Amino acid sequence: MRRNSAVRASMCRLDVESAVKEVGQSIGDVLSSPRYVLGRGVKRKLVDCEDPVPDLPYPLQRQLVMDLCLDKLQSCHRRSEPSLHRSVLLANTLRQLQQEMRQEGGGLSPTLAAACPAHAAPATPRHTPDLPPVPSDCVLAEEALPSLTSCHDLIFGSFEITNSTSYLTDLAPDDIFDDIDTSMYDPSDFSVLAFPSLRVGSGAPSTNGEEGLKTFSSCSPSSALQHRLSDLNDLDQIMEILVRS
Amino acid sequence: VAGSNRTGAGGNDVQWCFSQVKGAIDDDVAEADIISTVEFNHSGELLATGDKGGRVVIFQQETENKCQPLSRSEYNVYSTFQSHEPEFDYLKSLEIEEKINKIRWLPQKNAAQFLLSTNDKTIKLWKISERDKRPEGYNLKEEDGRYRDSTTITTLRVPVFRPMDLMVEASPRRIFANAHTYHINSISVNSDNETYLSADDLRINLWHLEITDRSFNIVDIKPANMEDLTEVITAAEFHPHQCNTFVYSSSKGTIRLCDMRASALCDRHSKLFEEPEDPSNRSFFSEIISSISDVKFSHSGRYMMTRDYLSVKIWDLNMENRPVETYQVHEYLRSKLCSLYENDCIFDKFECCWNGNDSVVMTGSYNNFFRMLDRSQRRDVTLEASRESSKPRQVLKPRRVCAGGKRKKDEISVDSLDFNKKILHTAWHPQENIIAVATTNNLYIFQEKVN
Repeated sequence: MRRNSAVRASMCRLDVESAVKEVGQSIGDVLSSPRYVLGRGVKRKLVDCEDPVPDLPYPLQRQLVMDLCLDKLQSCHRRSEPSLHRSVLLANTLRQLQQEMRQEGGGLSPTLAAACPAHAAPATPRHTPDLPPVPSDCVLAEEALPSLTSCHDLIFGSFEITNSTSYLTDLAPDDIFDDIDTSMYDPSDFSVLAFPSLRVGSGAPSTNGEEGLKTFSSCSPSSALQHRLSDLNDLDQIMEILVRS
Repeated sequence: VAGSNRTGAGGNDVQWCFSQVKGAIDDDVAEADIISTVEFNHSGELLATGDKGGRVVIFQQETENKCQPLSRSEYNVYSTFQSHEPEFDYLKSLEIEEKINKIRWLPQKNAAQFLLSTNDKTIKLWKISERDKRPEGYNLKEEDGRYRDSTTITTLRVPVFRPMDLMVEASPRRIFANAHTYHINSISVNSDNETYLSADDLRINLWHLEITDRSFNIVDIKPANMEDLTEVITAAEFHPHQCNTFVYSSSKGTIRLCDMRASALCDRHSKLFEEPEDPSNRSFFSEIISSISDVKFSHSGRYMMTRDYLSVKIWDLNMENRPVETYQVHEYLRSKLCSLYENDCIFDKFECCWNGNDSVVMTGSYNNFFRMLDRSQRRDVTLEASRESSKPRQVLKPRRVCAGGKRKKDEISVDSLDFNKKILHTAWHPQENIIAVATTNNLYIFQEKVN
């Protein structure tokens, strides 16, 4: 059950051809190099000319860095080695850039700033109109900015290594069943099953003495359920029922 | 005059020669073989490496000619064992990696050797002992262990110890688990030889080596509201002589020195080491590159060294407002920070180390380069760990990087550097000029040239 063994999830966007330099390395060498196994790419070189950033006007530089920042923050969870350190540095950088932009672009309508602060720049006359297009993930960007509040929990909260069993008792019952797709279970179908009283959602708890299995309705999110959740065996049995049907 | 033509650094014109390389020769790198930590023991006789697969390999120095102190001595495999296994956090659907983050040796007290090894979550104390005798001549058992038919026993004999082939056994003696919510980045044995600290991103715990079910939390920087989190702990170490003192570094480029006598929870530092930022070097990435990746006390205990992305700084413990020395590791990367940010290299965590008498420090770089920074002679040199320079006793040639403009012969241009070949882990023998340098999956051992 190992995750993707690549060291890096995202490769830098480098041109392979231009990456090969004259220092005695043939393209064949490069392709057979260990980097293919490790990083799924060729020898990692910098862009073949000077760092492109200094050539761009400052606001565009900042925009590029900000986009990269968002990209990386969003892909935090997809990495094989999530790192709180990295996420904190990225979040700080993002916050710093935002602050800078806010200070510069004073006079922005707050709604515009809230909607898509990464692209608040176009609204002010100081910036050039032909800025990069709004990325498709602007929705997530909105969520991630400007205060980074909800995103923080998303990013920082997931780094804790938990003790699995105790965690279950702390969870709200709803959360456990969030990922169980119950849409295909029509309550009327349940009559053909061994547990005729199965129902999604809350319902009067009905007993079923068959093999001591609890009915599905007993899994409805209710406060009475809390103590049952700590019994993982019940959960396993319920899952078995759902899977079988 | 004798040293005038030499360009080697390492104190008194040391020239470094290739000695050995460990690890697979072929270029097919298995992820489990990636070396993640390197550490000499206190005598330098043993050299331990940890890898991403959770294994520890210990090499032992063979000293065949003890009467010739500078004779070429080799390190050969002494013991290999699986220290950590992968675990699974079912709720988060995350694997807890078995990668060994750090190894620290305990000072030797008896015939056995002890080391602490840690992954993200669990620290283990391992005992490595030798067995070169075994008992023979049991009365009730055959030599292969089968029990003898008691009716056939007519005489009684005393079992004796007979020599056997040396067997090195590693056994886990303590497991220190469940004390860290975040990923452990450092462990450090105290000079009292009874306690040690372990640090994760937000907390530092103090342990007693004998007690596994309890640890004391001595630093906690977790904010009440995680939204307010802006700084993490990146490294921590005990002072080599003062058992009440330790330091920890942060992602904001600060180092805090704490005194455990002051209070139980050392959230208030005794000293805060921080250098004000140079405004002329300000960039989008200033904070990221100021993050300290390693902190190491000098053997004397008077100084400490920190490594951030571009430089190594030496601090006098009596002066908090700036380092006493700053060395640029690879200043030519300053103009490339955006690309390094894009490909994530800017987050690489380089370690650093002192030589035995604190006169030279060493740290790694890219392209399998590593840097020797001579404090006493104010000289520095860049060397390379490569297969091409791996002939026995081949002297390492200094390497030069051309930052821009016309590239001279023998120089390598910045754009040709291989950023996948990084040297993050290096170690220096505590007494001799022997260094261990880890590339991705190979361990290079270099020694001082002996005439």
